Amino acid sequence: MNSSSKFYGTKIPVVRMLVVMKNLFTIRAFHKSLISLSSSTRHFCCSSSSSASTFAIKNVTKSNFESALNDLRLYVKDADFVAVDLEMTGVTSAPWRESFELDRFDIQYLKVKDSAEKFAAVQFGVCPFRWEPHRQSFVAHPHNFYIFPRQEIKGDDTSYEFLCQTTSINFLAKYQFDFNLCIREGVSYLSRSQEKEALGRLNARYKDRLLDSSSCWREGVDTKLVRVADILFSERLKNKIAEWHDGLLGDRNGASQTWKTSNDSKQQLKTIFFKMRPALDLTGFTSHQLRLIQLVVKNHFEDLVYACVAGESSSQQLIVYADSASDRDLLMKELKDCLCKEAEMKIKAAIGFRHVIDLLSSEKKLIVGHNSFLDIAHIYRKFIGPLPSTAKECVISIQKFFPYIVDTKVLLNASTVCQKILKKSSTSLSKAFALLCPQIASGVKTSGLADKRLVKVEVQVDNKRSLNWNSGAKHEAGYDAFMTGCVFAQACSHLGVDFTLNPSSVDLSHHEKLQEYINLLYLSWINGDIIDLKTGERKTDSICSKGFKAHHSKILFSNTVLLWGFPAKLKASEIRECFCKVFGSSSITFIYHLDKTAVFIQFSKEELVSDFLVLKETLERSNDPISVLHPLSKVLQGGRTRAASYEVYKQICSSTISKVFFADQAEAVGIEWNAKLSKPVLEVERQVDFEASENQLDTDARNETEIVSGIDPPLYMHSPTDELDSLCPAEAQMSK
Amino acid sequence: MLLQRRLLCTQVPKRSIHPTHHQNSNLNNKKWAIKQVTKSNFAETLEEIKTHIFNSDFIAVSLQKTGAFSSPWQKVLPFDTAEVAYLKAKYAAERFQVLQFAVCPFSVKSSKIIAHPYNFHLFPRDELKMGMPSYSFFCQSSYLTAMAQEGFDFNACIYDGISYLSRAQELAAKDRTGNPLPRSYMKPSQSPTVYSVADSMFVDRIKSRIKIWKRTCQDSEKKTEDDLISTLRKIVSGGEVFGSRPSLSIDICSERQVQLILETLQEFTDLVPLLVPAKKELQLMEEEHNMQVRGFREVVDLISTSQKPVVAHNAINEFAFIHSKFIAPLPSTVDEFRSSLCSVFSHIVDVNHLMREIGPLNKVNNLPAAILYLKRRFTRPLHMEIPQHIDGDEVRVHGRDVLRISELFAKLCLILRIVPESPEADYSTSSSTLECYANVFNPCFISSSDLLDDDVNISTEKTRRISVANLVFLWGFRGMMSARKLKSLLKGSHEVFSGEIDVRLADRNCAIVVFWAPGFAERFLKVMNSGGTNCEPIKDMISEGLRAACYRTYKRVCELSIWEPSLADALEKALEEASDLPEANSEEELPAICWDNDELTNLDDL
Repeated sequence: MNSSSKFYGTKIPVVRMLVVMKNLFTIRAFHKSLISLSSSTRHFCCSSSSSASTFAIKNVTKSNFESALNDLRLYVKDADFVAVDLEMTGVTSAPWRESFELDRFDIQYLKVKDSAEKFAAVQFGVCPFRWEPHRQSFVAHPHNFYIFPRQEIKGDDTSYEFLCQTTSINFLAKYQFDFNLCIREGVSYLSRSQEKEALGRLNARYKDRLLDSSSCWREGVDTKLVRVADILFSERLKNKIAEWHDGLLGDRNGASQTWKTSNDSKQQLKTIFFKMRPALDLTGFTSHQLRLIQLVVKNHFEDLVYACVAGESSSQQLIVYADSASDRDLLMKELKDCLCKEAEMKIKAAIGFRHVIDLLSSEKKLIVGHNSFLDIAHIYRKFIGPLPSTAKECVISIQKFFPYIVDTKVLLNASTVCQKILKKSSTSLSKAFALLCPQIASGVKTSGLADKRLVKVEVQVDNKRSLNWNSGAKHEAGYDAFMTGCVFAQACSHLGVDFTLNPSSVDLSHHEKLQEYINLLYLSWINGDIIDLKTGERKTDSICSKGFKAHHSKILFSNTVLLWGFPAKLKASEIRECFCKVFGSSSITFIYHLDKTAVFIQFSKEELVSDFLVLKETLERSNDPISVLHPLSKVLQGGRTRAASYEVYKQICSSTISKVFFADQAEAVGIEWNAKLSKPVLEVERQVDFEASENQLDTDARNETEIVSGIDPPLYMHSPTDELDSLCPAEAQMSK
Repeated sequence: MLLQRRLLCTQVPKRSIHPTHHQNSNLNNKKWAIKQVTKSNFAETLEEIKTHIFNSDFIAVSLQKTGAFSSPWQKVLPFDTAEVAYLKAKYAAERFQVLQFAVCPFSVKSSKIIAHPYNFHLFPRDELKMGMPSYSFFCQSSYLTAMAQEGFDFNACIYDGISYLSRAQELAAKDRTGNPLPRSYMKPSQSPTVYSVADSMFVDRIKSRIKIWKRTCQDSEKKTEDDLISTLRKIVSGGEVFGSRPSLSIDICSERQVQLILETLQEFTDLVPLLVPAKKELQLMEEEHNMQVRGFREVVDLISTSQKPVVAHNAINEFAFIHSKFIAPLPSTVDEFRSSLCSVFSHIVDVNHLMREIGPLNKVNNLPAAILYLKRRFTRPLHMEIPQHIDGDEVRVHGRDVLRISELFAKLCLILRIVPESPEADYSTSSSTLECYANVFNPCFISSSDLLDDDVNISTEKTRRISVANLVFLWGFRGMMSARKLKSLLKGSHEVFSGEIDVRLADRNCAIVVFWAPGFAERFLKVMNSGGTNCEPIKDMISEGLRAACYRTYKRVCELSIWEPSLADALEKALEEASDLPEANSEEELPAICWDNDELTNLDDL
């Protein structure tokens, strides 16, 4: 057997390698993508330990929600802090909605908002941590809630919908997420605003009915008796009810009960008492028959009321006797209240998982997350209400519900001690966990001295306890929350919070050592932009950019033009060439791909923006040979090339539509482009910490962007960056 | 009467313990013996279904999606023209995903249906890492919950569902596979590669070979030399030319070696590795590649090439999905859609339209109910025979609608005499009759009664044709109102309502009014536009927020994709947009629809 066929059999392709000489850029590009790939694989290397004791994490579904919630109330009440984490069905609704370095602060928020609005949260990890002084360790209670946006109460006519990003679903599948359990058994929920709306609808409905009590139970009961069978049935029932009715009266007058029913109707009509009144319980009728009976009662018996009352399992159909008009009104009111209360109960029952959020909010505990702005936005959207339109309004509102939030990603990047331990490597959750808490992550006992500095965490699930528990699965919300909490506890210790000194627990929310980190979140990790939840402003004197790599780009939004719809195969380098021919070789600072249909072009001077837009318009209007031969015609070819200022980008991002390609999106949003071109640009520039002079960044930026066009771009492509890897979006996004 | 009942009573419990019952349930299971297909058994099934598709007369299809319409007015309504219905179907098809695709090739022989049902589990996995076939998709939680109740296994579907690419996507993929280096090679191993002795020898050998070749390349660029010498040099160094650039071929025989070379090449900053498969394997690889790329679309292509009539229920919805997922993005008009679809499937038959032929059935829009109805009315027996054998006794109900469609179609064909009943006559003679029923996408089918048998009672009195010019949308009335209340309110308000009108609710806040007398709709709109001058009741209602729009506005709502949850909001937006534009093509001819008094969703019942 020759080697080639053998290898074919084992699915190893027989190949020849061609080594081709090419220009320098391409090779660099190749290297660059390799680097970003390696950073995306960071979460794969986490060791599992054999010595760790194994009992499963507490999974909570519909069936055990009530009891778990009751236990959780106690744990949260006693807790020093509560770590949370969410798993979602996706992160970006379109490739161009991913985070770019070129995103201004307000646009970063719009992208998070879009994500939180479209995708569903399917798993919610809650892990309360409590310091136990006599054990000198933390006790953690990791909970893994499966949640699913099931529609439990009838709302308005809109259906419950959510988006799934294919790569994210695959990512969840890779980590053995149980979709069946989630969909079948997941706990549903109702946000505060949904609850309010539902109660409002309920009130409106019952108020309406008060005005019009005759049509109280069911509108449109005037089913006409057309079929002979219906007439016969109605007649028979009328007689039956009349018999019963007369019997009641006779009974009251002291006469013996005369109402006798035949065997079969006795099963269907049973005398009971309803709210101290005699009533007939109707069972075994079809809904059509019930409608007929309703009609009979309405038309022929003044002192009988047809009522539909919800029983324990199913609803009960009754004919109730009311002996006077006032009693009848009283009965109606009672029934109405009864129905109203019942509907209210249903709404209360539908709150479901939100009880956990309400608990966290009412206890005002310190909430710990890892790169958690998106998580918090999801919590807000799912359990509080629609997200406000600006970041400022949003975070100020968040603070009302969660006054103390701390983010381990911010903490790790800001603290020099932690940076030293992490050796400036990535601050992804599992990496940080493995490096900061080796005793938990791998169960390795380190030498006595080093061990002393490690915070002990004991895990309790139901009645089982363990000091070296590690049997969660990565990217399972409950386990991720546990890891986040451990990392936080350890980071606190490195920052000088001494848990052992205090006889009782430490007030972490107000601890002086933590004050400069509390209520700061990365709005966008890629830009290193931090938002201060108290003020809603971008944190400029950032403590946290210390650990953050310096940006080599100064982004002048007013110098930036958005260009899309150009010929499909046009590369950034070619576009640059065209522009340089027209505006001079140093006119372009950089060109940045949003996706294959759109680029950002930053000019060196602000006036070039309007120059270009005017020139574009004149070129498009005239069709003479000069404009055809114009260098820009290569870009404008096809007549679908559009350009706009940076503000239009914001408009496009704030739309609820999400087309896969930016050019399609812009068309769908459908703004009258040419009308907006001359509009003045509002924000001047974004402040980033600069280390490089503009000249340097010029070349750097050029390399970075043109590199992208050097290799054949994937279908959804944007510039590679060090932190986020565009080739494997899901992994990059899910691993924080 | 009594006796009968008692008999039944005693028989029922007896039956359940009787052994025959067991057989019965087996038979029932047998009835739903639908082969469930996932990635693991797809290849073998493909061969199997191929023969069945080519040997059967018809192919029934039915899809299970992640959602259908987001609010009541967005589903295809009886007053929708073909254009509007298509736009609605398009919107749904672009948003939602198909998770199950049931295919059932079947033949009707005398009173037997021979069916081969398959249910394919699909998931739009990105096999090529190119963001295809679908970047994201919507789910309606009610749809997922309903599927879960049927015992659908979402894990299996996501882990093991078959992926696919549409024809258009495959072309795009071919266009983009410019770099033949599979991405998997580009991922460096997590830890630095540990070299064995053999490895390092291999690496050293390759390294020196590359160095020599590079040197010769650079040397030869400098000086011009004799042709013969340069040729000889090439043979010695193994240099070739790839495009206009010098290249070097290295034969390798394992993935390990590919990895090693890639790592070695990192030292050379001016070299690009390319993987070129040896010629022998090319063809085999291509076949496998095609299978991987097209995935489930192979089945769709088989159905297409077989040219067999395809039977579906609510065809416009189903085929909007099929077109957008397996053929190409949906075109913007129904005519383009129809012609594009016809080039792929020559005959598409909608059982819904066939059902409309039999008057009273047009209300029955649900498959089991329709079958039950036909069973009662037309007692010709029909047996379903499923020859395929399926191992295991798990529930195989998924995709059973496709069997119902086959059964219903066969029954309807018998009743409508579309298919010859004699077993020897083959399908071709009947095709001309079927032609009349094929490829009709109007939500409202106009019955062609000449095709019908006399002994079938058709009552089409209830449906009346009416031009959409006589339809007016009304919204902004106070609170929740029933159609009846609204009608009586309108009746007293203006003389245009004195004629025959119909009022129905399209959704909770928007009503549609039919003016049976021509011209009255226009008159009413004029009154509305004038703000109700000379008519106090209308004026009052307008001041309370009453608004009206013609059918064209409704069409615009769909054309502009203003898919607001409430139709009233959508119409309002469309009116706003329209006010910016000059009054154009008002002379366009308006199509007619069939108005069925009974068919509209009666929201009073909600």
